[in-house]
Amino acid sequence: MTPKQRKLAYELITNPPPGSDIAAAKEYGIDLTLLVENLDLTVAQRLRKLYSVATFLEKIRQGNGAGQ
Amino acid sequence: MIPKAEKFLTILNRAEVEYVVIGGVAMVAHGSARATFDLDACYNRSKQNIEKLCRALEPLHPRLRGAPKNLPFRFDAKTVAAGLNFTLATDLGDFDLLGEVAGLGFYDAVYKSSVLKRVEKISCRVLSLDGLYKAKIAAGRDKDIEALKEIKGLKDLKEHLGKE
Repeated sequence: MTPKQRKLAYELITNPPPGSDIAAAKEYGIDLTLLVENLDLTVAQRLRKLYSVATFLEKIRQGNGAGQ
Repeated sequence: MIPKAEKFLTILNRAEVEYVVIGGVAMVAHGSARATFDLDACYNRSKQNIEKLCRALEPLHPRLRGAPKNLPFRFDAKTVAAGLNFTLATDLGDFDLLGEVAGLGFYDAVYKSSVLKRVEKISCRVLSLDGLYKAKIAAGRDKDIEALKEIKGLKDLKEHLGKE
């Protein structure tokens, strides 16, 4: 994202246009800051982030299983 | 186990397999913040493509995920041609292969709803946000309600930002 796009993105998620899908997502409880963070990454960076998060969650899941 | 998507896609691309990335990894490729633990792809069910797919995956020892270890299963062109959707565990992670996607149809329809994404040195077709929305609506699962809100919010955000 360009600095201009980033500024606009944060404006949009802070004060979404009334009746917009951004507003509906925010109202539902979607963390829009995470979406903006991801839009600032390349596709490869997004996939690596997913791998890192999922691997961590998998380790926790395995740890829970071992502890039972 | 979550596969390293890039490694998987590189293997499929090298073998010239016709596929479209769908599901959670497609959502993440578009910017979703949801975690997923497998890679899902819709594949072309032409004889030639099934053969390429089986050859490409063979070194990864694909087996049926969650099936008893003694259940006989051979991942070859004959098996894939006789089936449609497969939930696989491989040496690189879990990989779901779908011949048909609910709400969209078979590979040709899924391909038409896909966009080309660049993942550093490789390119791959990824189901569009509109396609993901249709597929999730058709799946009709309660757990997808949040994903539907996210997809629409993400699409709106991208449109405002003029971003693909």
